[in-house]
Amino acid sequence: MRFVARRLGFFLVTLWAAVTLNFLIPRLMPGNAAIAMMSRYKGRLNPNALHALEIAFGVNAHQSLVHAYFTYLGNIATGHFGISLTFFPDTVAHQVLQALPWTLALVGITTIIAFVLGTAIGLVSAWRRGTALDGALPPLFVITSAFPYFWLALLAIWLFSIKLGWFPESGGYDVTTTVGWNWTFVTDAVNHSILPALTIIVTAIGGWILTMRNNTITVLTEDYVRMARAKGLKPWRIMWTYAGRNAILPNLVGFAMSLGFVVGGAILVEFVFNYPGVGWMFLQSVENQDYALMQALFLLITVTVLIAILAADIATAILDPRTRERG
Amino acid sequence: MTLPSVADSVEPAGATVGSGPPEEATRRSVGADLFRSVLRNKKALVGLGLLLFFVVLAAFPGEIAPDDPRAKVYPPGLGPSFHHLFGTTAYGEDVFSQLVFGTRQSLLIALLVGGLATAIAVVVGVSAGYLGGTTDGVLSLITDVILVIPIFPLIIVIAAYERNSGLFTLVIVLGVLGWSYGARQLRSQTLSLRTRDFLEAARVRGERKSYVIVHEILPTMTSLILASFLGAALYAVLFAAGLQFIGLGDPNSQSWGTMLYWAENNEALGAGMPYWAIMPGVCIALLGAAFALLNYAFDEVSSPALRLRKLQRRGVEAEGAEVVPARPQDPKNILEVRSLSVAYASEHGPVVAVDDVSFELAKGEFLGVVGESACGKSTLVYAIARLLGAPLAGEITNGQVLFKGQDMVTLSDKQLRHIRWRDYSVVMQSAMNALNPVLTIGAQMRDACEAHSTMSRRQIEDRSKEVMRLVSIDPVHLLSYPHQLSGGMRQRAMIAMALLFTPELIVMDEPTSALDVVGQRSLMVQIKELQEQLGFAVIFVTHDMSLVRHFSDRLLVMYAAQVAELGRTRQLFEKPLHPYTHGLLDAFPSIHGPRERLVGIPGSPPDLLRPPTGCRFAPRCPQAFARCQAERPRLLEVDGELVRCFLHEPAAEAPAAKEVVA
Amino acid sequence: MSEPLLRVEGLTRHFRVGKLLSRQKLHAVDDVGFELEPGEIVALVGESGSGKSTIARLLARVYKPTAGEIYFEGKPVSNLRTRSQRLAYASDVAMVFQDPYSSINPAYRVTHPIERGLVLHRRDVARRRREAEVERSLTEVGLLPAARVAGKFPHELSGGQRQRVGFASALAVKPKLIVADEPVSMLDVSIRIGVLNLMTELREREGVSFLYITHDVASARYVADRVLVLYAGHLVEEGPAEEVIQRPKHPYTQLLLSAVPDPRAELGISDAADVGEPPKVIDPQPGCRFRARCPFAIADCETVTPPLRPIGPERLVACHVAVAEAEDAALERV
Repeated sequence: MRFVARRLGFFLVTLWAAVTLNFLIPRLMPGNAAIAMMSRYKGRLNPNALHALEIAFGVNAHQSLVHAYFTYLGNIATGHFGISLTFFPDTVAHQVLQALPWTLALVGITTIIAFVLGTAIGLVSAWRRGTALDGALPPLFVITSAFPYFWLALLAIWLFSIKLGWFPESGGYDVTTTVGWNWTFVTDAVNHSILPALTIIVTAIGGWILTMRNNTITVLTEDYVRMARAKGLKPWRIMWTYAGRNAILPNLVGFAMSLGFVVGGAILVEFVFNYPGVGWMFLQSVENQDYALMQALFLLITVTVLIAILAADIATAILDPRTRERG
Repeated sequence: MTLPSVADSVEPAGATVGSGPPEEATRRSVGADLFRSVLRNKKALVGLGLLLFFVVLAAFPGEIAPDDPRAKVYPPGLGPSFHHLFGTTAYGEDVFSQLVFGTRQSLLIALLVGGLATAIAVVVGVSAGYLGGTTDGVLSLITDVILVIPIFPLIIVIAAYERNSGLFTLVIVLGVLGWSYGARQLRSQTLSLRTRDFLEAARVRGERKSYVIVHEILPTMTSLILASFLGAALYAVLFAAGLQFIGLGDPNSQSWGTMLYWAENNEALGAGMPYWAIMPGVCIALLGAAFALLNYAFDEVSSPALRLRKLQRRGVEAEGAEVVPARPQDPKNILEVRSLSVAYASEHGPVVAVDDVSFELAKGEFLGVVGESACGKSTLVYAIARLLGAPLAGEITNGQVLFKGQDMVTLSDKQLRHIRWRDYSVVMQSAMNALNPVLTIGAQMRDACEAHSTMSRRQIEDRSKEVMRLVSIDPVHLLSYPHQLSGGMRQRAMIAMALLFTPELIVMDEPTSALDVVGQRSLMVQIKELQEQLGFAVIFVTHDMSLVRHFSDRLLVMYAAQVAELGRTRQLFEKPLHPYTHGLLDAFPSIHGPRERLVGIPGSPPDLLRPPTGCRFAPRCPQAFARCQAERPRLLEVDGELVRCFLHEPAAEAPAAKEVVA
Repeated sequence: MSEPLLRVEGLTRHFRVGKLLSRQKLHAVDDVGFELEPGEIVALVGESGSGKSTIARLLARVYKPTAGEIYFEGKPVSNLRTRSQRLAYASDVAMVFQDPYSSINPAYRVTHPIERGLVLHRRDVARRRREAEVERSLTEVGLLPAARVAGKFPHELSGGQRQRVGFASALAVKPKLIVADEPVSMLDVSIRIGVLNLMTELREREGVSFLYITHDVASARYVADRVLVLYAGHLVEEGPAEEVIQRPKHPYTQLLLSAVPDPRAELGISDAADVGEPPKVIDPQPGCRFRARCPFAIADCETVTPPLRPIGPERLVACHVAVAEAEDAALERV
């Protein structure tokens, strides 16, 4: 289908742009950070590792920039991200794969919850326009959407962990439990994830409530909603199939578009909670100047966001027959 | 009796701009309008207030803060007191003073990044939208790519290589990465402007492209540009603080983010210095909220649909409104409308859109409702069908609508739901808008069937096919989506849908006006045939009375929310009683008979907010006389027809003028 | 015989439709030719999608023709090279648009387009005299009192008034031809006649020619000297307005006329149950484009595109059979 091909094309172009940025940024920085970085590694790594890193980064002094670029692309394509300095001598790829499930579980699920919940609240508050619910929730969440994620995380820890002791302060699980699919571990992990999850939901939900509410209000003035009323359909049927389904279409695009923003905020939440996910590892790598790990994580975050956007696109195509044909 | 002619009908075409609002009010620009509505919006006021507060802090930190923010002269970790409003830091600095001095940087970043990002967004978005073609393709792709790449991690990557970069670098990086959302919106706005005739007019006039972009496009997008600025400013505040918080900013700078960084490093919350960690966040949140609230308010102001107006019932008085005596419906009539009035809220007060309208509709009758735009004809029929609500807002303020023995005005939504579509259905002006774009025609028919019957899927399908054949459409189109059908077919499909339960009344709101003449004609013929075959009654709204000439039994002519004339179609065409009807008939050039000069009706319909004191048609009436300006005419019965005009009172003084009791 | 004001020859405009690699072409206007004399009002009649608005935009140089040429006062329009030549053409040929609600920029006062017209095309009008000139053109189109109207913003005027502003800004540049694209179709019935009358007055007073583009045959008869009938991008009939409307030769013109709602006609319900719609002409084969809806179609109509040919004094029709057949049908109807 032409539509899917087009979106896949966009996916690839964006991915290429992210990879290229990754390659160029250290080289564009004053004093060529890539080379400066290599010299920093010199005392700390054995020559073999250093050489491997050189190849991974394409910072071989004997290579031209263009040649280095293609070597770099080749490495990325084959999953050679080099060796992590922080977790030496583990490979970057291995480390990244360890952190990924945590982030997917926390950020993935909370983002979906925030989207679904925000969309539902937006829809209902537009439907019940002018009621107390509509008067209170949207403005409230507009304000919370302006909260810095990390600050809210700090407050949450202070209030719910330190003061009230309801939830664990930090981490993704209790280090004394055995990691695995057993009841103790899962409940413990869930317990650890509640605060960070709430933080993300509270700050992310506002945008979706607002856009969904505004879309729905616009859609509610459409003739087809009036027509649905004229047909004597039940209110919930009108609300979901007529108003909701049409209002959610632009919201899905908005969902895709703001994902990058949400993920950025979630990184800080993981950081504050010492949550063992991609975001926390990302900031660790920044702190330790572990550039190989950092670059790989940046690419991973980008790819994840892109996959989510692709999913949103496909959902749009399923919900909107016009998109399917327009291609 | 001689009738004085209207004094100011000098202009043949009579486009004289009437007594509008006072001169002063006309001298305001769109910008001023925007400004005024923003000031009326509570959210905007709160946002502006907050912003102003921070601007003051940023402008005079030395005067407001009691201390040098870096003077480590106090005991560390003090709690809040009069001298130290929010206590001191672990280094013995005054938290309050640090907050005040930190404002400047956050505000500066917000404004600079907002400005830079908006400038890029305007250039990219508008050129992409206006120039189109390959330029648009390339620019849109770049915009989307930048939008989709997670910006914050990217900024962290950049900051990781370029640590402790100054304010300048931060602003550039945030600005260069943060324009894409605004650009996307500006582009789509420009695209929608491109179809507006005024841009084409400028091009035809010979304007240069640069002039069109700068002077024709940009001024119309003020509110969107502002929104884009506010959005970028909000994002800049949050991202800059985030960067500083994780230690990627200059640790010696005075900013809220840096304060949070030091507070976190000293575990201020746990160590009894909560305000050190809380207050910078509160400030960031408040500044962010100021931008978010302003943005929200602009959204509301610039799209009128988002503004909610409540009708103040008090003071809404229809001219002839009176309590309608309870009287049972005549069994030969399917519908009796008695003294129906509808009002809606406008920016300048309540407007009576339907003023004391009464009529009866016999079973199987075809009634045409004609009038110019905004005369209240659509509001009338949607009030009867109990379908008022945005965008045709309004509330029934008086009157009864008797349909099959019950008063529709008093029915609850639930009671209404049971008679809807079964007993009466509605056909709207544009099927393109009235059919749900994401459901097939068949699914929309099934919806209606399931709501009102216990038909099986099979039966529903058979019935749907049957009604499609009735309107001469191939039933395969039950599987089509609305956009896949041509205009004429969509309109027919909607009529087919209205016939599902063979209701006794179908309300049609200009069902043919979206069609070409040939399609219009054949659809009218079809409607008439179906009506004769199935026997339903029709209320047919149109602005074009010639259209219903050969189809309607009676005509209701509306003018300025009131009934001007009601009578049998043939008689009304041959011998119009009201000067307005007469004028309307004279306004149609014909393809038959001699080519003669027509005059139409001078002037334009009155503003319903301030209708003329006397007869509403008097200012445009060629036969108006003194009494018309002073008194309100009532509906009179003349030869079995109704007309609202003093010309038809039997004698000027006669008190026995047969007034029609509704 | 001297050169007409406007001569259009073989005017053709195709649009690429579909996706990037698609070669499908929408034939919006195909091989259209006509002439327009100074001081003449010619109506171009057709339904939506017939290509009439495309012709307006080709004349206004918004689009470039795919083929064919427009001659204005004998000079080919495609030869306009310099900006001053193009400006000169823009001041000779002005345009009035369909939608009065979107044809004036809402950010400016209604006089903005008139002033810009003066700035661009009437260098002779000194800056300080511009205001007076603006008011003069407002007065000319019956917008009174002009000084007061000049202070208004578009949303403060009614649709009819705005459409007059459209005519005022067209007139301000002293054009020789005004292309009016459906100028009354979005106005209320009671106001339409006023705008139509304005066109005839301006022709008489200022000597401007008009190309009046419309879907409304009755209004074409009301204002125009000659009528051109357009169907699916082809000109199918041409002749003096009264002739064409009283004795239509092309089956499409006949169908169109039978569908016109007419309050004065004593017709009953006609049996015109044609449910067809004008086709979207994408990559057409030769043949008459009306054949699918035509009651008189013969084998030739399937394969040969009928050329526009004379069938009487000043009458042209593009139909293989219609002359005899349609004459009969037309006679029957009368």
